[in-house]
Amino acid sequence: MSTELSVAAADATGVDETAVDHGQSVKSVYVYEAPVRIWHWINMLAILVLCVTGYFIGSPLPTQPGEASANFLMGYIRFAHFAAGYIFAIGMIARIYWAVVGNHHARELFSVPIFTAAYWREVWSMVKWYSFLSARPNRYVGHNPLARFAMFFVFVLTSLFMIVTGFALYGEGLGMGSWADKLFGWVIPLFGQSQDVHTFHHLGMWFLVCFIIFHVYAAVREDIMGRQSIVSTMVSGYRTFKD
Amino acid sequence: MGYETQGFKLDDSGRRIVVDPVTRIEGHMRCEVNVDENNVIRNAVSTGTMWRGLEVILKGRDPRDAWAFVERICGVCTGCHALTSVRAVEDALGIEIPKNAHLIRDIMAKVLQVHDHAVHFYHLHALDWVDVVSALKADPKATSDLQHLVSPSHPMSSPGYFRDIQNRLKKFVESGQLGPFMNGYWGNKAYVLPPEANLMAVTHYLEALDLQKEWVKIHTIFGGKNPHPNYLVGGVPCAINIDGDGAAGAPINMERLNFVKARIDEIIEFNKNVYIPDVLAIGTIYKAHGWLYGGGISGTEVLDYGTYEKVSYDHSTQQLPGGAIINGNWDEIHEVDPRDPEQVQEFVAHSWYQYADENRGLHPWDGVTEPNYVLGAKAKGTRTNIEQIDESAKYSWIKSPRWRGHAMEVGPLARYILSYSHALKGHKYCQRVKEQVDYSAMMINSGIPKALALPETQYTVKQLLPTTIGRTLARALESQYCGEMMLDDWHELVDNIRNGDRSTANVDKWDPRTWPKECKGVGTVAAPRGGLGHWIRIKDGRIENYQCVVPTTWNGSPRDTKGQIGAFEASLMNTPMANPEEPVEILRTLHSFDPCLACSTHVMSPDGQELSRVKVR
Amino acid sequence: METFYEVMRRQGITRRSFMKFCSLTATSLGLGPAFVPQIASAMENKPRTPVLWLHGLECTCCSESFIRSAHPLAKDVVLSMISLDYDDTLMAAAGHQAEAILEEIMTKYKGNYILAVEGNPPLNQDGMSCIIGGRPFIDQLRHVAKDAKAIISWGSCASWGCVQAAKPNPTRATPVHKVITDKPIIKVPGCPPIAEVMTGVITYMLTFDRIPELDRQGRPKMFYSQRIHDKCYRRPHFDAGQFVESWDDEGARKGYCLYKVGCKGPTSYNACSTVQWNEGTSFPIKAGHGCIGCSEDGFWDKGSFYDRLTDIHQFGIEANADRVGATAAGAVGAAVVAHAAASALKRAADSRKASETTDA
Repeated sequence: MSTELSVAAADATGVDETAVDHGQSVKSVYVYEAPVRIWHWINMLAILVLCVTGYFIGSPLPTQPGEASANFLMGYIRFAHFAAGYIFAIGMIARIYWAVVGNHHARELFSVPIFTAAYWREVWSMVKWYSFLSARPNRYVGHNPLARFAMFFVFVLTSLFMIVTGFALYGEGLGMGSWADKLFGWVIPLFGQSQDVHTFHHLGMWFLVCFIIFHVYAAVREDIMGRQSIVSTMVSGYRTFKD
Repeated sequence: MGYETQGFKLDDSGRRIVVDPVTRIEGHMRCEVNVDENNVIRNAVSTGTMWRGLEVILKGRDPRDAWAFVERICGVCTGCHALTSVRAVEDALGIEIPKNAHLIRDIMAKVLQVHDHAVHFYHLHALDWVDVVSALKADPKATSDLQHLVSPSHPMSSPGYFRDIQNRLKKFVESGQLGPFMNGYWGNKAYVLPPEANLMAVTHYLEALDLQKEWVKIHTIFGGKNPHPNYLVGGVPCAINIDGDGAAGAPINMERLNFVKARIDEIIEFNKNVYIPDVLAIGTIYKAHGWLYGGGISGTEVLDYGTYEKVSYDHSTQQLPGGAIINGNWDEIHEVDPRDPEQVQEFVAHSWYQYADENRGLHPWDGVTEPNYVLGAKAKGTRTNIEQIDESAKYSWIKSPRWRGHAMEVGPLARYILSYSHALKGHKYCQRVKEQVDYSAMMINSGIPKALALPETQYTVKQLLPTTIGRTLARALESQYCGEMMLDDWHELVDNIRNGDRSTANVDKWDPRTWPKECKGVGTVAAPRGGLGHWIRIKDGRIENYQCVVPTTWNGSPRDTKGQIGAFEASLMNTPMANPEEPVEILRTLHSFDPCLACSTHVMSPDGQELSRVKVR
Repeated sequence: METFYEVMRRQGITRRSFMKFCSLTATSLGLGPAFVPQIASAMENKPRTPVLWLHGLECTCCSESFIRSAHPLAKDVVLSMISLDYDDTLMAAAGHQAEAILEEIMTKYKGNYILAVEGNPPLNQDGMSCIIGGRPFIDQLRHVAKDAKAIISWGSCASWGCVQAAKPNPTRATPVHKVITDKPIIKVPGCPPIAEVMTGVITYMLTFDRIPELDRQGRPKMFYSQRIHDKCYRRPHFDAGQFVESWDDEGARKGYCLYKVGCKGPTSYNACSTVQWNEGTSFPIKAGHGCIGCSEDGFWDKGSFYDRLTDIHQFGIEANADRVGATAAGAVGAAVVAHAAASALKRAADSRKASETTDA
């Protein structure tokens, strides 16, 4: 029986043995626990808000008409930036906590086994896959080795950099002696002066934007071309393998 | 051992005297002279002893930022380099500034003249004329009488006022901690003022110290701070809003303008009641003792670019018209064109820089400079411990600018000689200068001598002006004139605003995308110490080349290829010293130029690396 | 001799508060009340503290600012509070008579004089681009610093290097704290510092007989703990989003925030918006020009004074973060699109191949 016929029959009857057979071959693994998933999406929103408001702090919108007392545009933009910054930072702390208590996949973001030869072999195989040099990638339960590399060296380190510089700048507003100044004030002389910290904080934002472009693209592409689910995993927590 | 130049016979065979540091100036300077057996100066050597390399630093920067860098060349004549810079940039880009901006800039420039001149006279120069310790012997009553005599309308003149000051001074001296007056040359025979005149001058030293901080508040209103007020390419940053919406928050409103007016009135009062009478009285007494030294080349070679246009951009309306006088012929005033490559040129034969051909001078637009710190064969000491300079070799961080090959003197005296000559030829806009000069000559010759029972004299203007006293007098007169012009400017500004013009900046060419790919410009200003010029080349929106030729470069220049001496060196020639151990006379004449060494020593080179290459011979 | 006590009295401080001040001092020094009369008597008879004010590579704007002080008046500081024994800008003596003063004070008041430095020493050319008495300034500085009680670094030159240290720093002008490392240094940056800040620091040191509390960069917290922006009277316009968009526009005439035309108030620590300049007359922002950040380290090399986002020099590029970032993001975006296109083609080819295989 040809495939077309069986589909037509199944549509009519609801009986589809082929699909059932096939269905047994779909394997899935519980990878991302709930806290990791929640963090991911909250973090996404926080970064979105931070990037947009941050951009407008650096290049403000056109002048508002009316009295100063009737407007608070920059104030709101900065408020949103600071609020999102807090969420981003607290989220990062919570995520680090979860890396300790959660499953082993939760730790992938924070460590890269760079001294393990097997790891580098897998990185190379992923590089070949992205360079169209290999026809079929391996199957990965957690992050693939290349993703893990990017996550740690680009996302995690940049995020920490943004949190440290961000709160150093925030501490300038809170004033000398404030908690932010005590914790992060040392950053400013390290860079030279406040203007330098602003500049590099701004540059860090663009770094994250570049990361996000890669991240979203790679996730979608893997979903389509790879051998496992990616995007839906961050919703359900289950990594589903297609073959 | 010597030669003749510019009418001076140089002779370095006598005893050598070294003054280093020369104090009460801006920056660092050294002076060496040879005196003959009668303690008369027969050879003079002035050395600029610092450089900072600002023109190297400017390369590749945004021309709109340049004013802030060059403003930091000097914090004493603060603002004049900034003004010159914005003018040079505007000249290069073809920007015309609004009338209000022109007037505000002119008021600021004149405030600087007044402030700089008064602070120079009272706080840097006065101690060359005034014996502080002698003031303790003065009779306060007699001092009060003297004050009434030389300046009848000055309100602070009671015997009690002078007694209070004297008591404070006494207490200070008795404390044994003399502070800035420690190791001064008190009691030196070169001081000839009677105790009462000394007490009067010391009192005004303190009065001027209190008042000078008021005058500069005009800079604070227009430029936000002083020292180093802010400037803007294309106009001034202080927007005007007299009666519009939000005038209360505007940089310039009616209250601010009134504040400025009040300070201008104070300036005019001070000049009239204190500064001018003091200089005339001190000048007269020193003249009575025959002290008419220090002329140098001021009677023969003077230069200025001209300034203070009554009508913006119309040079014929300059209230201090410029030009060049050479060979002592005051009847012929040559036109000075800072763009002409044949006119202003800098030489380095005796400066710590090197050219490929050191017999040639270079116009600032084409200026190339590489440092070359070497001491001459006859220098004594070591490379980092100079005991004696060898002036036959390279000996200063200052270059030698020349106008058509002539060493020139610049400064208030040069401007006054030029404007006086212009006025004699009927120039409409500088007649006030002639009035001031003639009045001063009359007062010094007969007016004050009559009042003080001194012999009257018949010196001509041409005899009185080119002297150390004349240099100091011209500065005071310029201060007075600037105060008066400032008041005119203020009224004109208010009139212009009343006529509906509130514009303060021309922003048509603010954006570098509107600029030509390559251009060059020049800006000149009558800085307190003389004619100042900046030359700029702009390429692709960045500074390609920047060169400043500043007043003290002219005056303090070392010898050139022809062996001509600069104005400082010339002015010291043939001056007798009362006691060569104590350089009162040297300081008096050098200070009469108001040297500014941070201004005069600058360097430019193709790249910063070159600068660290230094040869030792 | 006018003693410290007399100065305080003349400035309107009563005997009662003077004694109170003495007992406070005793407490703060951990001494019992028995020491109060001793402290009082020391204060009443104490000679004025000698100050040796040296000048390196500078423009004298700090001295000029200092004499503009209105409270206290510069003349009162010089005549009654300190003993300004060496200052080449004001002193009567010159040449070797001037140099002799340094030796005398250093011997007589060993460990008890204050060294004030205006400008900085250049290190290139063996230091001979700043010569004092035939020798490099750095020698004089090291020599006088040796026995000083404390050092005040006046202005941005002494504190950070300032204009002569701007790139490429041809003379290798070096701030004081990098050449003198064994003395307490109080940095009073600004080009120049505000007059009343300068005299405020001096009077604090004399009145409380101690160094003011410093921040982590060595600046007195009392004047440098807040940014100009934090206390700027135009701050409401910043929060409202009302800016001067170009010079002499309506915003400029209404006193809107100068943020967009490059004001460095948000990144500059100084007292301009509080103490203000020249006896509180105004300050740069009030006069319509943005702050150029003259009290900050290396402010000359942070791009144009008129740019909000300043250029990045560290990688040898002349562009601000937005230009660098947007370019990078654009490049990444283009790369992604290209890769996606290639992937799509490959997938199409693969599936064609796959279906051919299945069919066969």
